[in-house]
Amino acid sequence: MSELELRYVITVHRDESVRHCIQQMRSYGLGCVVVVDKKNILEGKFTERLLIPLLLSGKSLDEPVAKHMSTDWGAVSTEDPIVKVIEQMESKKLRFVIVVNSKGQPVGLTGQKGVAEYIAEHFPRRVKVQESQATKIFLDHREGA
Amino acid sequence: MRRRRRSVDDSEFQDPLKNYETPAYNGDLDRSLMEGKIRDIKITPFTAVLPETTIQDALKEMCDSSIACLLIAREGKLLGIFSVRDVLHRVVENYDRIMNDPISDVMTPNPTAVYRTDSPAKALNLMADSGFRHLPILNVDEKVVGILGPRRVTSYLRDFLPD
Repeated sequence: MSELELRYVITVHRDESVRHCIQQMRSYGLGCVVVVDKKNILEGKFTERLLIPLLLSGKSLDEPVAKHMSTDWGAVSTEDPIVKVIEQMESKKLRFVIVVNSKGQPVGLTGQKGVAEYIAEHFPRRVKVQESQATKIFLDHREGA
Repeated sequence: MRRRRRSVDDSEFQDPLKNYETPAYNGDLDRSLMEGKIRDIKITPFTAVLPETTIQDALKEMCDSSIACLLIAREGKLLGIFSVRDVLHRVVENYDRIMNDPISDVMTPNPTAVYRTDSPAKALNLMADSGFRHLPILNVDEKVVGILGPRRVTSYLRDFLPD
């Protein structure tokens, strides 16, 4: 896990509103906030995916996040191998995995994109040199030989 | 009259593959990135709706199908993509006002797509470097045949990762 670049983890308390969580996710460009108790121990998570049933139900965004959070999360330790992240994502069909320290406190966030970036970083000759979309547009429109 | 046999000049023919070296791969993961094909990866089932579908109906479709991403297409031709990230950034705070508007108003038009014959490295490049989370998959006729998410790619490559 030490080789994986972790993302910032947004933590909120259970009585914060869903609207506050949305604002946090938008400002940090993340799709997940982690709900913690007063000792900073994990209680749940709220992801952008949970917004859909919330909107369809017609409930207010000002309700506390505790009412809508998921208590089924994936967590790995900072000492775990990267394969464990993939296992957690596969077995629980998760997009985000929370990285915790020895006290169970969240220290970072990783997931599908983190693993994809890890592989890309380690095989730059294969991944980084791929034709980008911008290049494709250029090639499609170039003139001459 | 007998023709004179033309002498063969060795310098006339140059084997274009003379200096070709087969690629040296640094392990199975390296090889699978280049030699694998997107068609080898178990792709995510996709759901497509018409561009005039209302935002509310599109969300119901995503909820009922438990999917994070919806394709917008007409007669197999890809027109746009709409994901949970779009719900967060374009829909959630205006939902009551726009729920009956067409999904085409909030979709990302002309999304980047990959072909079935592209390599996993190409998909990873688009996901890791360009930041596209879901990639529609097209066949040679430019028709949508599936969608590729990062979990499928990492699951495919998992077997090649060291423990």
